[in-house]
Amino acid sequence: MNRFLCAWTVIVALGFTNASRAASVDDFYKGKNVRIVVGFSAGGGFDTYARALARHMGKHIPGGPGVVVENMTGAGSLIAANHVFKVAKPDGLTVGHFIGGLFLGQVLGQAGIEFDARKFEFIGAPISDHVVCAMTKASGISSIDRWIAAKTPVKMGGIAPGTSTPDNATRILKAALGLPIQLVTGYKGTAEVRLAAEGGEVAGGCWGWDSVSVTWRKALDSGDAVVVLQANRKTHPELANVPQAIKFAKSEEARKMIDVGIHGDSDIVRTYTLPPGTPKDRLQALRQAFDATLKDAEFVADAKKSRLNIGPIPVEDIEKDISGLFKLDPALLSKLKEVLYN
Amino acid sequence: MDMLNALVSGFLQCFNLSTFNLMLIGIAIGFVVGILPGLGGPTAMALMLPFVFKMSAVEAFAFLLGMTAVTSTTGDITSVLFGVPGEPTTASTIVDGHAMARNGEAGRALGAVLMSSLVGAVFAGVALGAAIPIIRPLVLSFGSPEFFMMALLGISFVAALSGEDVLKGMVAGGIGLMLATIGLDPISGIQRYTFGHLFLWDGIGLVPITIGFYAIPETIELAVLGTSIAKQEVGNLGGVMEGVKDTFRHWWLVIRCSALGCFTAIIPGMGAATTQWLAYAHAVQSSPDKERFGKGDVRGVLGPGAANNSTLGGSLITTIAFGVPASVVMAILLGAFIIQGIVPGPDMLLPPPKGKLDLTYSFVWVIIISNVITVATCFLFLKPLARVTQVRGSIIIPLILVLIYLGAFAEKNAFEDMIVVLFFGALGWVMEKMEWPRPPVLLGLVLGPLAENRLFLSTDNYGWAWTTRPGVIGIFVLTLAGIFYPMIKSRREALQKARAETTPGEAEPGSRGLHFNLPTLFAGMVIVVLAIALWQSRNFGYRAGLFPWVIGIPTLILAFGQFARDIYGKEKKATRVAMSVESPVEVAPAITRKRTLSIIAWTIGFFLAIWLLGFSYAVPLTILLYLKFAGERWFITAAVTFFSWLFYWGLFEKLLNVPFPEGLLITLIKGGE
Repeated sequence: MNRFLCAWTVIVALGFTNASRAASVDDFYKGKNVRIVVGFSAGGGFDTYARALARHMGKHIPGGPGVVVENMTGAGSLIAANHVFKVAKPDGLTVGHFIGGLFLGQVLGQAGIEFDARKFEFIGAPISDHVVCAMTKASGISSIDRWIAAKTPVKMGGIAPGTSTPDNATRILKAALGLPIQLVTGYKGTAEVRLAAEGGEVAGGCWGWDSVSVTWRKALDSGDAVVVLQANRKTHPELANVPQAIKFAKSEEARKMIDVGIHGDSDIVRTYTLPPGTPKDRLQALRQAFDATLKDAEFVADAKKSRLNIGPIPVEDIEKDISGLFKLDPALLSKLKEVLYN
Repeated sequence: MDMLNALVSGFLQCFNLSTFNLMLIGIAIGFVVGILPGLGGPTAMALMLPFVFKMSAVEAFAFLLGMTAVTSTTGDITSVLFGVPGEPTTASTIVDGHAMARNGEAGRALGAVLMSSLVGAVFAGVALGAAIPIIRPLVLSFGSPEFFMMALLGISFVAALSGEDVLKGMVAGGIGLMLATIGLDPISGIQRYTFGHLFLWDGIGLVPITIGFYAIPETIELAVLGTSIAKQEVGNLGGVMEGVKDTFRHWWLVIRCSALGCFTAIIPGMGAATTQWLAYAHAVQSSPDKERFGKGDVRGVLGPGAANNSTLGGSLITTIAFGVPASVVMAILLGAFIIQGIVPGPDMLLPPPKGKLDLTYSFVWVIIISNVITVATCFLFLKPLARVTQVRGSIIIPLILVLIYLGAFAEKNAFEDMIVVLFFGALGWVMEKMEWPRPPVLLGLVLGPLAENRLFLSTDNYGWAWTTRPGVIGIFVLTLAGIFYPMIKSRREALQKARAETTPGEAEPGSRGLHFNLPTLFAGMVIVVLAIALWQSRNFGYRAGLFPWVIGIPTLILAFGQFARDIYGKEKKATRVAMSVESPVEVAPAITRKRTLSIIAWTIGFFLAIWLLGFSYAVPLTILLYLKFAGERWFITAAVTFFSWLFYWGLFEKLLNVPFPEGLLITLIKGGE
């Protein structure tokens, strides 16, 4: 390992051409295993995506290493995030995959965070979340107008404070748009929120369209569930007729809250990262491999079968979103903190 | 008619050649996974998920469900034989099942647990098949308030799990509920009792606690007695057929526990980890003579054996009909549904032209058929399996230690879990010595989060108005009846007994006065820890603090009661002597002390070796040293060491790619290069 680093330094120092650098990356990865450290348990959304990638990514990395998934669960993937930042060797053999809401968490001073989001090396994100609010027909909230006009607070399901969706999104919509909302939080996952909605315990909830469109398909088709609002930078093609939340924002602060807390968060929610200080040539190789995998026909077919949507977020956008978080106005930050955690 | 067609069509679909073959492969994998502690159904399923891509829907589920369905069945085998839970869902089988193995009745316990597992699986299949038309309206009529009441009903079973000493049992149940509050509070996100460790944010896992609680005390006892697992031979009475007959002897119990497992599992969050304890409690509660429970009563094996298998059926229904995964396994299954393009929901319960009931029925059939195959296969191997209990303790102990640490680590790949095992091993051992019941702790631990969550969801949503819902009142009445009926019954029986014979006085009056002995010390420590926990909780705020207060304060008061009884009460010397007569092996106190210290040293030493050298060096080294110190011959030592290392390395390192941490010393040496 050390010997390799020396060799590499020498090569760079001598100013060798790109071709030979690619060859050295090739040598490095040959016969090795790249591990993707996933912060959630086997079988969940993050894991499914990572495993699909792992099956196809190896052949796009020079030297054709094996790619294995390792589940490091705990603290909403914070354990994995801290591990990738502090413990994992920055040798290009460890890729981290944890929830992007933690980056906002760092800015807001969430406890237990031991990383600096600005120092991670990002290799990409396969998809951004598209936040929608879906309600049951039985709740009577069949459109945003009815929602605004509701006399009593509309009960919405949540999971835990600090969860990007449903909790953060719902809280921000309530604060920014003044919608009548009573957040009922503590359900174990969006499936339970959905069950509670079907049983009439809550009216609905706000979380990713990728999940809603698959798991609530039947009810959406029959009209028993309706998507009344979305909060996305780009309107999802399947949601052309659903109004955008930001249009209802009355103040600059409200718009900013939605843009940072929901839109920005959606783009960086599923990033793949490398430990700080990973050699640049390997970072480059992994970025290219990541992009190539997302275009790989076999991967696309696998993903389609698992209903995993693909819509890569460019690394530049991710980096812009992250650095944007650190330039936020302190007043907005304290407002967000109040909205999300109180 | 349509339903009947679907039923038959579902059955036939299972016997398509490729489907059947895939089911057999699934069963074979599940068989091994079930037996190995730490390697659970969820992990196995997640690893197998990629293979599902190329299969048809029926094939995929025959494969996955076949695999899952047998894990609880074969997990029972490990629990019975070694006292190490093969799966988190088979922990309750240890209490009486392993006790039976210790009494030389391993064959009978295995026969009973397998037969009852089969009955449970078949019952679940039949009951669900019949209940399909009413399931959706039934479940939708239940909301968070009713779920909370069901959890409360479950917690009230603590009384039945307490054995002879209800007071100790209630304190133990309270401790379990308090342990369940460790971690991030799900409502306000406040950290409770995490001491700044991220590892504790998600609370402590059921697997390491159960392993520590049972496997470590059992290992210590094994070492102290210096026998094989079976302390004695009981001949045919301990045989497999006897256990099978037991299942039919206690037929109603088995059926009731099957029903209990299957129907409570419909509640999201109630998996087999919970239902097994409810079934165990029910077996105790409903038996007229309770003395032998915990010491090897076959009824304590039959109840959980049936329930942990019937649970799968119930969980499957919530998953199929609502797309709400009732457990981790079901969450993964849901992923497989999606891969197969199946959307769980009401159509899954409608006959073919409109829905996919035939597919649903094929699931039910897979559960039944795979259990039939597994149980039949197991019966072929039961005799040699039961013989494991006759192997010398000195050979078995190092292997059990390997299982303990592998099982603890591999569930979450967390090093800290091994520390949890040691801590709860010590606690479990002390509790056993002080005659505190352990099952209530585990019941509290599994039901605590469900109860707290649903309580807050209910009050968040409805204020206190939820308490007047008819379902809530109904379950509350049921809970009260469950608590008071056995009390009234036993009081009446006691009165009748008293009338029939004038009591000849308790065995020995025992000395009155203050006792500063070990039980007093333990009760005192319980008080101190509870008091500290309550003191800590003062900063939690109302939302996160309510549950610890509501549980902690009564538990503390009860613990004071126990302390008072221990310090100023009758010493129970007389009964303890009577109990130890059961064991045919007597060990002198001096030797007991020496052996106890020695096995504790080995257990801790093994852990240190893993910490310093990593698993790959620690496993062979510790086994080798242990066998040599126990005076085994070189040939046996070398063979056992080699094969256990091969098993560890081949399965966990090569096949499963478990990311074992490098030993501290190894890292230092490598870093120094």
